[in-house]
Amino acid sequence: MANTDSENLGDLVRSRLPKSPTGIVGFDEITGGGLPAGRPSLVCGPPGTGKSLFALQFLVNGIKLYGEPGVFLTFEQSRADVVADVSSLDLDIDGLEADGRLLVDALMLEPQAIETGEFNLEALMVRLAWAVEKFGAKRVAIDNVEALFAAFTKPALVRSELQRLFRLLKDQGLTTVITGERGDGTLTRHGIEEYLSDCVVVLDDRVVQDVATRRLRVLKYRGSNHGRNEYPFLIGAHGLEVLPITSLGLNKQVSAERVSTGVPGLDDMLGGEGVFRGSGILVSGSSGTGKTTIGASFADAACQRGEVVLFFSFEESEAEIHRNMSSVGLDLTGWVDRGLLHFHCERPTTRGLEDHLAMMQQLIQEKAPTLVVIDPVSSLARGATAFDVSAMLMRQVYYLKAAGITAVMTVLTDESDLAQSIINISSLVDTSLELVVLTALGERNRGLYVLKSRGTAHSNQIREFVLSDTGVEVVPVVIGAEGLLTGSARIAAESAERVSAESMSLESEELARALERRRETVDEHVATLRDDFAAEERLTQRLITASEQRQEALRLDRLAQGRRRTVRPPEVEP
Amino acid sequence: MTTASEPQEREREPTLERLRLTLFVSGASATSSRAVVRLRDLCDRHWPSGYDLEIVDIYQQPEVVFARGVLAVPTLIKELPLPVKVLIGDFTDESRVLTALGMPGTKRG
Repeated sequence: MANTDSENLGDLVRSRLPKSPTGIVGFDEITGGGLPAGRPSLVCGPPGTGKSLFALQFLVNGIKLYGEPGVFLTFEQSRADVVADVSSLDLDIDGLEADGRLLVDALMLEPQAIETGEFNLEALMVRLAWAVEKFGAKRVAIDNVEALFAAFTKPALVRSELQRLFRLLKDQGLTTVITGERGDGTLTRHGIEEYLSDCVVVLDDRVVQDVATRRLRVLKYRGSNHGRNEYPFLIGAHGLEVLPITSLGLNKQVSAERVSTGVPGLDDMLGGEGVFRGSGILVSGSSGTGKTTIGASFADAACQRGEVVLFFSFEESEAEIHRNMSSVGLDLTGWVDRGLLHFHCERPTTRGLEDHLAMMQQLIQEKAPTLVVIDPVSSLARGATAFDVSAMLMRQVYYLKAAGITAVMTVLTDESDLAQSIINISSLVDTSLELVVLTALGERNRGLYVLKSRGTAHSNQIREFVLSDTGVEVVPVVIGAEGLLTGSARIAAESAERVSAESMSLESEELARALERRRETVDEHVATLRDDFAAEERLTQRLITASEQRQEALRLDRLAQGRRRTVRPPEVEP
Repeated sequence: MTTASEPQEREREPTLERLRLTLFVSGASATSSRAVVRLRDLCDRHWPSGYDLEIVDIYQQPEVVFARGVLAVPTLIKELPLPVKVLIGDFTDESRVLTALGMPGTKRG
């Protein structure tokens, strides 16, 4: 659903129909540019769904953002009420009126007007036309036309006069928002949607499991494509904000900067550098696996870098967090004192889902943190439907990403359904860490692995997440003959390894020494042999020399004898 | 205005005060012309102490229309005597007009 919708929204932008942007966050995205320019649009819904606010914001934004003066005609409230109702928002009605760019025309209908015969509502049109001309208005809002039906006894007449009014507005090329109250089975109580067929927006405030969520839907948009889903919206500090899940821009700036997780060993698992700044990190795990501790470590690391951190806690009080974190060597109080760390602790049930979102966004804007921890995001979502949860998370993640804020969200996976829907959005987060319980050999140890981490090399190993009073640490597990070893088994295995390593080194030293000794022996042997040989050589040499001398002497003797024989006849021989 | 005036009101002769009326009409439309004629006739017959009638053409004086919060035409505002009353329509229903304006004709009718 999400994918096809984002494609549609892409097409909307290219739509040719002239449109008037409302400046309402998200609405212009789902309508591909806003309301049909120069035409009336109907905004309807039950009481209290924000119709008047929509109308007023459309005008105020028109003035502030698009330089189009506006006229606000209300049949429901006094001018003071209009101003008071939006006083908490930064709409500045008084200022705009003083500038002559906005007119709030509060027409309190005379309930005691006595009808004495035929009449029409021409004066309404005259006064509106007059105001439009006087203020050079390009935008008009009429809130709420149903009141006209209550003021006069002739609905048929009111209906035909309204039809005339809408035609007049159209003829004058005024972009108009007309609000109507939802009727029983019809969009408006008196069926005026029949005359307002260009664009119909339906607002709704539904309570699902005790939690109210506001939704907006563009029912009809003649001549234009539009996002056809129901979009959750909220009324926050800046008024109405529609949060189309898919249309929040994906063209945000991304940072290549990496920030430490604050957990030694975890950075190593994430390619040695931690996570990307401005990315979304989901830490999921069952109860007691150390999710809060991971969140606190991120916070601690950021504060060490001198950055501002906003920590939303929906389960523990600030004092509890301080106590619990100091037990694992994380002292957060110092950061609070230095104004770097801000806690916001609130019960999840105090507000509805979108109220929480609005509150969080407000605080984020106020404190301008670089890191936000939401612990746990799953308890926030209690009571909401799976769709709402993922929608809210997506909104939150997109919001934070767009603001370049690193977001650490923890998810308690014990609530299986909810957790599943949260895990389902893990496609949206950049890094997903999963904490698991490793039970073996009568122990329960914490394990951690990186489910995914976009754009970074990361370890595929389950490592042990160790919490001790000196701090938190992620250490590689030992894979032994019995499988993964954690806890004391790991420590035992590690020490066994150490022992065997020691004995091995002893042995080799022994061998080396033996070898050395052997070498010495051999050397000695060789030296002796050489000496013996030298002695032998000398002796032999002498013998050779003696033998040669004897041979020479013999030869000389023979020579002498031969000479003698030639003097004397050989008969002398015996 | 005060509670003390209540018994007086019943026996009061309605002839003492002048009627002050403002009538909003749209130009020279048939309904508007008819309304003016009917109103003058009614006042002449039922309010002998006289009346002041101001006629406002909504097209000529839109700022007055704006200031007075007028939506319909014809609209008649009875300014005096108090209380202020607002009547809309072309005065076809004569008895309602007389009741609204507190004219003695009511009793007769």
